[in-house]
Amino acid sequence: MSAGVEIRNVSKQFGNGVQALDDVSLSVAAGEVLCIVGPSGSGKSTLLRTVNRLETVTAGDVLLDGESIHTAGRQLNALRQKAGMVFQQFNLFPHLTVLDNITLAPLKVRGESMTTVKPRAQSLLDRVGLGDRGNSFPSQLSGGQQQRVAIARALAMQPDVMLFDEPTSALDPEMVGGVLDVMKDLASEGMTMLVVTHEMGFARAVADRVVFMESGRIEHIAEPENFFEPASGSRLDLFLGQVLR
Amino acid sequence: MNSRWFWHGVYALVLLALALAIYAASRTVDYTWRWDRVPDYIVAYEDVDLRSTLTGIVEISDGQVDIIGTQDAAATETFGDLDEVLVEDGDYVFDGDVIGTRSGWRIGPLTWGLVVTLQLSILALLFAVPIGLLAGLGRVSTNPAARNLAATYVELIRGTPLLVQIFIFYFFVGTVLSLSRMTAGVAALAVFTGAYIAEIVRAGIESIPKGQMEAARSLGMSYGQAMRHVILPQAMRRTLPPMAGQLINLIKDSSLVSVIAITDLTKAGREVVNSTFSPFEVWFTVAAMYLVLTAGLSLLIRRFELRLARSDG
Ligand SMILES: Nc1ncnc2c1ncn2[C@@H]1O[C@H](COP(=O)(O)OP(=O)(O)OP(=O)(O)O)[C@@H](O)[C@H]1O
Ligand SMILES: [Mg+2]
Repeated sequence: MSAGVEIRNVSKQFGNGVQALDDVSLSVAAGEVLCIVGPSGSGKSTLLRTVNRLETVTAGDVLLDGESIHTAGRQLNALRQKAGMVFQQFNLFPHLTVLDNITLAPLKVRGESMTTVKPRAQSLLDRVGLGDRGNSFPSQLSGGQQQRVAIARALAMQPDVMLFDEPTSALDPEMVGGVLDVMKDLASEGMTMLVVTHEMGFARAVADRVVFMESGRIEHIAEPENFFEPASGSRLDLFLGQVLR
Repeated sequence: MNSRWFWHGVYALVLLALALAIYAASRTVDYTWRWDRVPDYIVAYEDVDLRSTLTGIVEISDGQVDIIGTQDAAATETFGDLDEVLVEDGDYVFDGDVIGTRSGWRIGPLTWGLVVTLQLSILALLFAVPIGLLAGLGRVSTNPAARNLAATYVELIRGTPLLVQIFIFYFFVGTVLSLSRMTAGVAALAVFTGAYIAEIVRAGIESIPKGQMEAARSLGMSYGQAMRHVILPQAMRRTLPPMAGQLINLIKDSSLVSVIAITDLTKAGREVVNSTFSPFEVWFTVAAMYLVLTAGLSLLIRRFELRLARSDG
């Protein structure tokens, strides 16, 4: 079910000249949970978005389950199904009910039948604690509930890898825990996860490795127990000092 | 409350003053108002002559007139329900003679014009919507050919007067493809309105946050699937009100096709002026008829919008 991600020498320069990624290489093993932290504008989102080609690269490539994402032609849509993505702003489809949000892609992209998709969608909803909200519209849910639906929507495509871009940053503090719990569950089941986050507690508890990015580069990468004890005076030390206060 | 009624009174007074001013102005040019002539051109109750199509002998039995053919006795013709019988039993009538009259309601030329105007507008809209949708999709496409073609179309149409486009459609396109007046008129209006609808569609699509497309694509949807299932359903909701407004514009713009001799409301107005010599009354009436159409539509649309707003979860 799970697969690895290999980021190979990826560089990204935007049209306006901003060098968002500068020769980034990173290998994520199947079942590994990798957290990415770093200051604003360091390229975390851009890196994550190159994994499913929401962002193109200027150089390098990403291999998903051994297959090239950035040279893919027609099979890109099929490859993208292997990587579920959860966004900071949830991006649920507001014109569809919760259940329709979850079933849309399996029905239209994979041509599955409602009889196979609906039970799966329902069990995903149960799993994120929203089993009774299938007929609600996204606007009727709290931010935390919406984000859990977004996770269920991504999981409905049965991805091998899950990409999270600051999934709790837009939430009220009391909503954060529920979303993190769902993510912890997923991690314990062996899902490969790339998580951009400011939740240092989550990174410390769940991540197998933590990446510190700055100016489009990976500055530091380590297991949590080492990551959170950096050499004093280092850039990571300064960054952690700021976010942990 | 009191002051509100006061301002309503002011409004009514100003309107009254305007009406008086118009009346006074017409006095200065020595014009006789003949409003009584106008209704006949909307609907008329009148006598219609019924004519024989045979040559033969008239037989009348309890109000019913039968004509028995003289060349061929098997050929007969029957006239019932006549309001006035103008022949007598035993009369010899020729083919084309008036047998009697029947009175009834007849729809006047102005009403016919209104119907043609509606027909033109609805037909043109039916074609303009798919044209506009296609061009709107082209405008937001990442494919340079589609994007530039759509942009060229929109700029060409919006940069030239509709009247000139109608002439081009009638004299050039119409001649080359040998289109009827009506087809050329509908085509010109559809192509014209399509450009405006394209801009409405483009604005609608662009109003949908980028994250929607990204979420759809990240789930493995193709661009087309994402458009069809995620973007357009949301965009269409937002484009319905301006689209309806465009229909109202279309109704008004359609008056220009009268220049290629399509008997729409405006052309009918011109014809009625020619036969009544009452231009003031006729043009005021024509304006009122357009107004009834457009005001009625915008009322309907307002209701529809309210319902849409209420159902917006
Ligand atoms: N579409 C874009 N066009 C131009 N520049 C961009 C675009 N997206 C991002 N950038 C720039 O690229 C750099 C990296 O942005 P990115 O969003 O990856 O940072 P981030 O680490 O996710 O920051 P944050 O923590 O604020 O989300 C920034 O300087 C940003 O301004
Ligand atoms: Mg970011």
